[in-house]
Amino acid sequence: MRLTEIDYGSSINSLNANIYQFSGSRERILLTEPVQVWHGEAVGQLEKLVHLQPGWDGYQAEPVSFTNATFALRMLESICGDDAPIPQIVPGVSGDLQIEWHTLQGDIELHVKAPNDVRAWHSQFTDGTKAEEIDLTFDFIEIAAWVKKVTESAIAITTATA
Amino acid sequence: MSNTAAISNRPDHLPDFNCPPLNEVTLGVQFAQPKGYQQIYAGEVWNLYRKDYPLVEEQAPLEPTFETFGLSAPSGQIKFVTGASHDRFWFLQTEGDELIQFQNDRLLHNWRKVGDRSNPYPRFEYMIAKYRNELEQLQTYMIGLASDALAINQCEVSYINHIIVENDDELKASRWFRFISFGDTEVDDFKAGFREIVRDEAGKPQGRLIGEAVSGRNQSGQRVFVFTLTVRGAPKEPKIESALEFLSRGRELIVKRFAELTSDYAHTKWERCK
Repeated sequence: MRLTEIDYGSSINSLNANIYQFSGSRERILLTEPVQVWHGEAVGQLEKLVHLQPGWDGYQAEPVSFTNATFALRMLESICGDDAPIPQIVPGVSGDLQIEWHTLQGDIELHVKAPNDVRAWHSQFTDGTKAEEIDLTFDFIEIAAWVKKVTESAIAITTATA
Repeated sequence: MSNTAAISNRPDHLPDFNCPPLNEVTLGVQFAQPKGYQQIYAGEVWNLYRKDYPLVEEQAPLEPTFETFGLSAPSGQIKFVTGASHDRFWFLQTEGDELIQFQNDRLLHNWRKVGDRSNPYPRFEYMIAKYRNELEQLQTYMIGLASDALAINQCEVSYINHIIVENDDELKASRWFRFISFGDTEVDDFKAGFREIVRDEAGKPQGRLIGEAVSGRNQSGQRVFVFTLTVRGAPKEPKIESALEFLSRGRELIVKRFAELTSDYAHTKWERCK
């Protein structure tokens, strides 16, 4: 978090991720760069989940935490290719969340318990692979391969329909 | 630790300069919001540091930041619309050259040049010794609230250099940077950035080194190149000791990369001594 102010000129806006200055409003606003369909949809779903009312389940469930939502989106960016199908995002009761793909090829569920604390599960129907469950922190290259395999048919169907 | 002790503790293998263009250094960690903590307690947190940091300012909060790895590096900034958020507080020394930044999920320590810009950099070893103390004080306070130690999920160390241009020849970026050249063409301004993965001993991703060079003007109106190097990522364990190890390693990477990416001309100007 740098402190010093520099005039970079009107034609240049800093892209540096460690500039965090805001002016005026105390509200956090959405400023992102959607380049994939799933990205915009995921942001929309996550926004709804962080706005859940406390006790949304009729008991004492908390809304999805802002921190977990941010981490989940970063995780998805590391997992999903440009044409990845839109995942379903389901709130947990403790501010956590679960990201899921269910296709004819198989299922994937990623439980984001906290930043750097993800339980990943998948089962594949077509190649006889048994269900597998692993714990992950911040390296999701293995999950990217799962998503590609499990969602290939969904992509193919979408393309054929188009 | 005194400044003299800090200099003598500096690792021998690192490049060194007598007059580096360093303008600001930041050490920081991000952690899960401690249980039992609410913004109403921010004054109690200030009291932990108030003797050395008697001034306070309120700032907008920093957003959560995470480095993740997989198919590609994460893209742009993310900000969700949410309701009220915790302020970020600056606890400042009277001179203003060192400050602590605190919010419900962050603690940072900054050093910066101030005034006539002649205040010397106290060195990393001095800064990190102070920062260790500040983290431990915060952790003790948070444990008092709900018995939980800080659960650190990201660490960040940044070196921000201001290279002041003194003549037309020095306006060429290639005079200073090995990785930027516009040939014979003069450009009005530029911005160049890169990100590279930082790996642990086993070759697994642990964080990223993020570099950015940009032309601009400082508050005195002088032409400057601002060259920022940041290392950010998760500690091996969510504990203070592990976070400090990450920051120390990040500092070494930054210092080495700084020397690799800047020119011989720059090294002469900054009086490279190692």
